[in-house]
Amino acid sequence: MGKVITLAGKDLRLLVRDKSSLFWVIMFPLLIALFFGTIFSGSGGQMSGMKVAVIDEDQSEFSQAYISQLDSLEALSITPMVYDSAFQKVRTGRLAALIVLKKGFGQTGGLFSDTPLVEVGIDPSRRTEAGYLQGLLAQASFMQLHGKYSSPSLIREQLDKLTLDSGAWKGLDSRQLARARSFLSSMADFFESLEELSIDSTADEPSKRPAMFAVKVTSVTNDVARPRSSFEVTFPSAVLWGLMGVAATFAVGIVKERNGGTYLRLRLAPVTRTQILAGKGLACFTASFFIGVMLLALGTVVFGVRIVNPGILAVSLVAACLCFVGLTMMVSAIGKSEEAVAGAGWGILLVMAMIGGGMLPLMFMPGWLKTLSHFSPVKWGILAIEGGIWRDFTYTEIWLPVVILLGIGTLCFSAGVTLLSRTDR
Amino acid sequence: MVTAEKLRKQFNGLVAVDEVSFHISPGEVFGLLGPNGAGKTTIINMLVGVLRPDEGEVTIDGSHDPAQTQVRNRIGNAPQSLALYDRLTAYENLAFFGHLYGLSGNRLKEQIARALDFVGLTDRQKGIVGTFSGGMQRRLNLACALIHDPPLLLLDEPTVGVDPQSRYMIFESIEKLKKRGITIVYTTHYMEEAQRLCDRVAIIDRGKILALDTVDTLIEDFGGRAIIEGEVAEISVNFTWPGSTFEGNRFTLETQKPMEELARLANAGLNFTRLKVEGANLESVFLNLTGRSLRD
Ligand SMILES: Nc1ncnc2c1ncn2[C@@H]1O[C@H](COP(=O)(O)OP(=O)(O)O)[C@@H](O)[C@H]1O
Ligand SMILES: [Mg+2]
Repeated sequence: MGKVITLAGKDLRLLVRDKSSLFWVIMFPLLIALFFGTIFSGSGGQMSGMKVAVIDEDQSEFSQAYISQLDSLEALSITPMVYDSAFQKVRTGRLAALIVLKKGFGQTGGLFSDTPLVEVGIDPSRRTEAGYLQGLLAQASFMQLHGKYSSPSLIREQLDKLTLDSGAWKGLDSRQLARARSFLSSMADFFESLEELSIDSTADEPSKRPAMFAVKVTSVTNDVARPRSSFEVTFPSAVLWGLMGVAATFAVGIVKERNGGTYLRLRLAPVTRTQILAGKGLACFTASFFIGVMLLALGTVVFGVRIVNPGILAVSLVAACLCFVGLTMMVSAIGKSEEAVAGAGWGILLVMAMIGGGMLPLMFMPGWLKTLSHFSPVKWGILAIEGGIWRDFTYTEIWLPVVILLGIGTLCFSAGVTLLSRTDR
Repeated sequence: MVTAEKLRKQFNGLVAVDEVSFHISPGEVFGLLGPNGAGKTTIINMLVGVLRPDEGEVTIDGSHDPAQTQVRNRIGNAPQSLALYDRLTAYENLAFFGHLYGLSGNRLKEQIARALDFVGLTDRQKGIVGTFSGGMQRRLNLACALIHDPPLLLLDEPTVGVDPQSRYMIFESIEKLKKRGITIVYTTHYMEEAQRLCDRVAIIDRGKILALDTVDTLIEDFGGRAIIEGEVAEISVNFTWPGSTFEGNRFTLETQKPMEELARLANAGLNFTRLKVEGANLESVFLNLTGRSLRD
């Protein structure tokens, strides 16, 4: 066991010293969590539109422009309506949600006002999508504003101006508000530094220029188990992104080690193959678990994410981490060079994320894709973690995702180890 | 200490090692000299059990299985591809490998200090290995192989990509190890290194051992003649010397036994203004055995 810990400690040290991997493991998931709506840049052709009613109480030029902006989003299919009939349709499930643009919306553009000027009413069975809808609203508003402002200092300005006690922040106490403010300010610093840095392929995406949107989400009927804020939807998927980052980083690390001389030295040392594997697994698990806890802690402390059931959350997180340890082993075995594994690894992980709802909530997917999502560990990971955060799963409800996660993990682990040992001699 | 018997290894139809046999006695420095691609690394990998030979057998300390823990504990290996973690410090690398060999506490610290001192990296122990020069990395690679005091050391091209100063330090280290009685297997494609460090050398080309003996015997048997060139101050007309060609004051002569020839020249009472002896060396041995130069 001592040697396994030594092996794992070495890998963790290597991870901590690798700045570019840390970005994918920590910063990127955090960006996902915070700016989910805008990071998702809309319009995949195969998307089925979310049917939404719009009630324009403002009747201004601006609100009209905003509605047509919303209409242009493929993810939404908009019908103007009066409140009562819209409410009925949402309640009976014929529409997914209703959006009310309140009087005064035109003056502020809906942004950064003290009282929410946009109200969203949503079908409680579609609570997962509330956060996503919120993102789309922000996106529409962002697109409208995009022409006007494009300098990076706008982000700072927007974040500075952001009144945190408006709708999106409802339910945070004053200490949390203060923390959120200072956190957002350091985020602003971060984005400004990104302008100069330009990190990898994400550099050109509009995600780096987020717009915060004051939205009040209400449920049409009251339901205990629903996300209270969009963060409760985005942080679980951020955790999964973190796990994917760890998996990709470790998979590449394994190939690098095998191709360099160090693996030779490991094999000559008096350690067994099992110990070497266990060391890798332990390091990968520890890193994943730590990232998960860190993201969730940040979500809880700064962004008011509730953890309704810590026990369930712990079980879910452990299962998700174990699953991704297995995935890491498999991904590391799919290629011989670092480049091949990095490329194919991210490819596989992104597909899993895509079909598993890590990017686009499952609701917007056509039926066949939804069926496909059952094969994605990302889907089960998000579901399990949400089970501890707002879905309030019981232990009888959690066992299915947990068993599936552990199953996928075991399968991938065995496949990976078999493939790896084949190339050993 | 180490015996290889008719080792053979093929990679997808290419015979990398063919019928290689040798025996290495305790305390010996045994050289594998051959050009790139000759099969040296493949032989080393079969010796330590990382590669399984297609045919033949390796015996280390009487054991046929190099994977046994007690055999592994007796082998130190400095691979040709550097076996170091770039993002760790020199100290952390040594500590990590030391742990794997079961060292801990004060004993580990002592061994690390010793190894660092041995390769002259004590004042760079906190440096990140990725920032080291090629020579420093090679030295650390050697130190890592020594962390557990193995009686058998395998050095695969330990001076590749190394500056002259580091090369000198590595030579010194190896000579010290030799004095301690450590058995060393040393592969190289530099004939000067084999000539300077090795008790016996196996000349390898295309997977086969072409000749195996002490450096002197190899040169005697396969080196060909030495060439003596010189200039004498004054010379009587019609002076001749058996085997030599004269052009005015200058002469060249080829000989199998340069020392004896020189002694005779000296005794002849000639007054030399210039004298150059180009002895046969392992390079000429290789040339004579293969018809090609080692550097190709
Ligand atoms: N893993 C391998 N797969 C295929 N061919 C190999 C492999 N290892 C070595 N070879 C080939 O075997 C021959 C001997 O290689 P090697 O032992 O590395 O030579 P040296 O160490 O003397 O430079 C070379 O032709 C090399 O290309
Ligand atoms: Mg070699």
